[in-house]
Amino acid sequence: MRILLAEDDPLLGDGLRAGLRQLGFQVDWVRDGQAAERELRAEPYAAAVLDLGLPMMDGMEVLASIRRAGSATPILVLTARDAVPDRIRGLDLGADDYVVKPVDLNELAARLRALVRRAHGQPQERLTAQDVVLDPAARSVLRDGVPVTLPAREFDLLHALMLNTGRVLSRDQLEQRLYSWGQEVESNAVEVHIHHLRRKLGTALIQTVRGVGYMVQRENPSP
Amino acid sequence: MTLLPRSLQGRLLILVLCVVTGVWAATAAMTWRDVRHELDELLDSHLAQAAALLVVQQAGEVGDGHEAADVPTLHRYAPKVAFQVFHEERLALRSPNAPDLPMAGGKSFSPGFATVKIEGIAWRVFAAQGAERDVQVYVSERVDSRASILWAVLRSTLWPMLLALPLLALVSWWAVYRGVAPLRKLGGSLAKRQPQALQPVVVAGAPSEMVPLVDALNGLFDRIARMIESERRFTADAAHELRTPIAAIRTQAQVALGESDDALRRHALESTLQGCDRATRLVEQLLTLSRLEAGAAPALVSLDLAALVRQVIAEAAPQAMRCQQTIEVEAAAHCLVQGDPILLAVLVRNLVDNATRYSPQGATVRISVAEREGRVVLLRIEDSGSGMKSGDIEHLGERFFRVLGTGQGGSGLGWSIVRRIAALHQASIQVRKSTGLGGLTAEIEFPAQLIGQYPVSPQHA
Repeated sequence: MRILLAEDDPLLGDGLRAGLRQLGFQVDWVRDGQAAERELRAEPYAAAVLDLGLPMMDGMEVLASIRRAGSATPILVLTARDAVPDRIRGLDLGADDYVVKPVDLNELAARLRALVRRAHGQPQERLTAQDVVLDPAARSVLRDGVPVTLPAREFDLLHALMLNTGRVLSRDQLEQRLYSWGQEVESNAVEVHIHHLRRKLGTALIQTVRGVGYMVQRENPSP
Repeated sequence: MTLLPRSLQGRLLILVLCVVTGVWAATAAMTWRDVRHELDELLDSHLAQAAALLVVQQAGEVGDGHEAADVPTLHRYAPKVAFQVFHEERLALRSPNAPDLPMAGGKSFSPGFATVKIEGIAWRVFAAQGAERDVQVYVSERVDSRASILWAVLRSTLWPMLLALPLLALVSWWAVYRGVAPLRKLGGSLAKRQPQALQPVVVAGAPSEMVPLVDALNGLFDRIARMIESERRFTADAAHELRTPIAAIRTQAQVALGESDDALRRHALESTLQGCDRATRLVEQLLTLSRLEAGAAPALVSLDLAALVRQVIAEAAPQAMRCQQTIEVEAAAHCLVQGDPILLAVLVRNLVDNATRYSPQGATVRISVAEREGRVVLLRIEDSGSGMKSGDIEHLGERFFRVLGTGQGGSGLGWSIVRRIAALHQASIQVRKSTGLGGLTAEIEFPAQLIGQYPVSPQHA
C-alpha cells in the first residue's frame, strides 16, 4: 500500500517512514504543505498521514484544498494540536481520522489500514476472493486455509487487486500503487508478479482484461 | 433603584431637594420678615391714628358725670380690635370687648406702643392722652390677628412652592432615572455576559459622560482577548513543541525494535538519541525562560562583555566548524557593561546558536562588541544565512515562534530568552537584514556604564 507522509520534523518524519515501511507500506515523504497538496492531487495514494503545522501551506489548508479538488484519498491527520476545536475543524475539513502525537506505529498502521478498507467499502479487515483470504494486518495469505508465502511486492499487488474486487486496474495504476519514489520499476514487473501469483494461487483468481489490465472477482466465474 | 445614599440617583435627588427646600425656606423667611415689618408699620400707624381721633373726640365730648358707655359692635371683625377711653382715670368709653381696667398690663400709663397680655391674649396696645392729660386713650388690636394676616400673605406665596416640591422630586427622580438608564443597560448586559464573551460592549444612546467608561471597558476586553489568544497559542505551541520530539523518540525507538537490518537499526537508535538531545535542550530552554519570568531582577555587576563574548564563542566554535562555518569576533579590549554574567552568557549563546543553526554550511557569523558614543555598548551578531522575512522578524520573541520549514529542531524559545534577559539589563534589541553579510543582524544595545566601577571577569560562560 502506497501512502503519502507529510511531516516537516526531520527526526519524526524519518522515523515514521522507516516504521511504516517495516509494517509493509510504501511511503513517500514530503516536508511541506505545497508538496503534500501537489502529490495528493497527482498520485493515487491509498492514504495520507498529514501533519498540521507544515511550512509553506498549513495542513488544514492542504486538506481543504484537496477536498475542494474532489480527492477522496483517506487522510489521517497526525498532529500535536489536541484541542477539541482543532479536532473538529480537521474532521470537518475532510480528515478521516485525527491522531495526536505521539502515536504507536502499530496503531498508526492499523488506523491507515482501516481507512483504506473503509474507503474501498470493505466491512472486514480480511479480504476474501474465491478461495483466497488476505489479512493486511498479518500480511498473510491463505488459499483453502493453507498459508501461502508471498514476497512483499506480490502481496501488495494482490492486496491492491483484492481491495478493488470487480474493478479493472491498469498496469500503470498498479505500478503507482506498488512503488514509492526512488524505486526502480522494470517495464514488465507487474506481468512478472502476476505470473508468480497465478502460479501460487491458481489461474482463476486474477483475470486479464486484454488491453486494459487485471481484475480479481469475488466469485469464480467458471467454477 | 432605591434612594440609597450610595446610589447616584439618590444622591442627585437628595441634593436637588435640599437646594430647592433651602431656597424655599430662605424665600419664606425673607417674605415673613418683610411682610411683618410692613404690616406692623401699617397697623401701628392705624392704631396711632385711631387713638388720636379718640383723644380729639373725647376732649370735646366728654362731660362730667357721664357713665362709662360701651360702643356697639358694628362689624364681626370688631372683637379683634378694642379701645378704652379714660377720663380723669375713670373709664368713659370702651369697645364691648375691652376690659374695665386700663390695657396697660397693670403698669401705670405710658404713652406709645406696648404688647400686653389680657386674659391670656396678647394685644398690641397704643396709649395716648390728651393735652390736659385728663383723657387717656388705649387702642388695641389682637396680636394673633396680625399673625393671621401674615400667614394669609405667606400662604399664598408659599403654598405653590410647597405643592411644587413633591412634584419637583418626582420629576427629578424620573429625569435622573432616565439619565442613568444607559448605565443600567450597560450593567445588565455585563451581568448577562459569558466569561468567554469578549466582543466590545455597545450601549445605544450612551451619553457623552459614559463614552470614556465604555471605551475603557472595551479596551480592557480587547486586551484580555489578546492575552487569552496569546495564552491559547502558547499552550498549542507548547503542546506541539513538547510532543514532536517525544513522538520522534518513540517512533525511532519502535523502528529500532522492529528493525532486523543492523545499519537501519543503528540509524534509528542514533535518531532516538538525537531526539533525546533535542527534548533535553527544549526542557532546559523552558526552565531558563520560566526562571527568568518568575525570578527577581538579577544583581548586576560591572563586567567585561568582550571577554564574556570571547569565552562563549570559544565554546560554540567547534559546532560551527563542524558545519564549515566561520565565526569572526571583533571585540575591543574592554567593554564594560552592568550585567549578570550568567544571564549574559545565556543571551550571547542563544544568539550565536541561532545564527549558526539557521545559516547553511560554509556560512559566516560575525560577532562584534564595541563601545559607542555616550559609552553605550553595542553587541552585534550578524550572519550570512538566508535571513528572515520582516513579517517573521516581528514574531521573534514570541514563545515557541519558529519559522517553519528550516529543517532545524530549534526550541522556538531562544528569542524569548534573549528578549527577557535584554529587558532585565535595560538593553534594547534591533533585528534587521544584515547589510554586510546578507543574513540577519541582531543588535543589543546596553545602556551607558557608570564610570568608576571595577570590572569583574565573567565567572561562568
